[in-house]
Amino acid sequence: MRLTAGARVKHDVSLEALLGQVALGNRAAFEALYHDTSRKLFGICLRLLAERSEAEDALQETFTTVWRKAVQFDAARASPIAWLAMIARNKAIDRLRARPARSRMAPIEAIEELEDPRASPHQQAQALADRSRLDACIQQLEAQRRSLICAAFFEGSTYEELAVRIGSPLGSVKSWIRRGLLQLRSCLQEP
Amino acid sequence: MSDLTSKPGGDEDAIEPPDDDLLAGEYVLGVLDEGQRRAVQVRIEAEPVFARRVAGWEERLGSLTAHVEPIDVPEHLWLRVRERLGWPAAAHAGGGLWRSVGFWRATTAVALAAAIAAIVISVPRMLAPPSPLVAESPAAEPVTTLSHDDGTPAWLASVDVRRGTVLLVPVPAPADARGRVPELWLIPRGGSPRALGLLSSDRSYAVAVPADLRIALTAGAVLAVSLEPPGGAPGPAPTGPIIAKGMIQL
Repeated sequence: MRLTAGARVKHDVSLEALLGQVALGNRAAFEALYHDTSRKLFGICLRLLAERSEAEDALQETFTTVWRKAVQFDAARASPIAWLAMIARNKAIDRLRARPARSRMAPIEAIEELEDPRASPHQQAQALADRSRLDACIQQLEAQRRSLICAAFFEGSTYEELAVRIGSPLGSVKSWIRRGLLQLRSCLQEP
Repeated sequence: MSDLTSKPGGDEDAIEPPDDDLLAGEYVLGVLDEGQRRAVQVRIEAEPVFARRVAGWEERLGSLTAHVEPIDVPEHLWLRVRERLGWPAAAHAGGGLWRSVGFWRATTAVALAAAIAAIVISVPRMLAPPSPLVAESPAAEPVTTLSHDDGTPAWLASVDVRRGTVLLVPVPAPADARGRVPELWLIPRGGSPRALGLLSSDRSYAVAVPADLRIALTAGAVLAVSLEPPGGAPGPAPTGPIIAKGMIQL
């Protein structure tokens, strides 16, 4: 475990030190953390929410949560940026779900969007293949499962929304995604 | 569960409710609707085992966020965050060391790596034969005692000049009744105090000394701890009482 931490240190060491100070209530360290990570986290919120004002609200909630929960950050379990990113995702997805049903179900050019090489999440993942173990495992998924999992992750679509977007039965969409998740889990478990 | 992956051709419709681990994965992936998300969030708070499953999926899927491009944030948003936290609007006046965003850039990666290494090791381990992460560390380092006015020890400090870190080990003491927090200062010989960061009263903590201050990390310089308002001293100098101090021994 310490070796893992050592390997991680190369990339995120200053964020880890900043989070440590934030956990102790150091406001200036919090400001530095905001300076270093807010653009990335804003990118995550905006990608999910699409609307700037909502993404700003989500980012504000993200950082107030980071201030309160920094003490829970465990460097042995997650890299600082992954931990921060998950908080941002959760804030953004919660907002996404709170939108009126009609706006969430607004028609999306699902197939086109998913297959557009520039916009497609799975193409995006492909472009960066081999950057991580996860990327390699995602490449091994069937195209359909891969597209759905990437669309769900990057755009925050529910099962129901995905079913509408690709015009497939809800049960199929659930089945594809669940199998994809199980496949990823076992792929990531391999030594 | 394994039958889910292997079931031939059964893609349509009939699919059993997911087990807990799969549910956690669905939550992290973001496919659950509002009601399902709330139910899962309640379970995360109430069930440690389930919370660990969620953390496991966050670890599995987290690296996907590397694919998201950073986007410039409107400047007013930082002020909104401060406001939301109930911080005074004028705190920018401080201008202390920590205010400088370049602070962490100025400290070398090596020193910071050492600081992190020091956080993850326990004090007994430091005194034991070196582990891989501390292999380059000298076998033993002198300890500086930071004492109260009456001479009783409050913190033990181990200064690593080469790496520019100071490991502070507190003698456990009750937290300040008025809610103030301990902040560490380095007072160079003939100089004025410079902030090194906040400390914990009950856990050992390593602080990284900024590159430009490392030259002052010599025998005869003083390490001091003051009590400051939550968040740390608002300006470049201590505002509260000095509760412990000691001269660096090397």
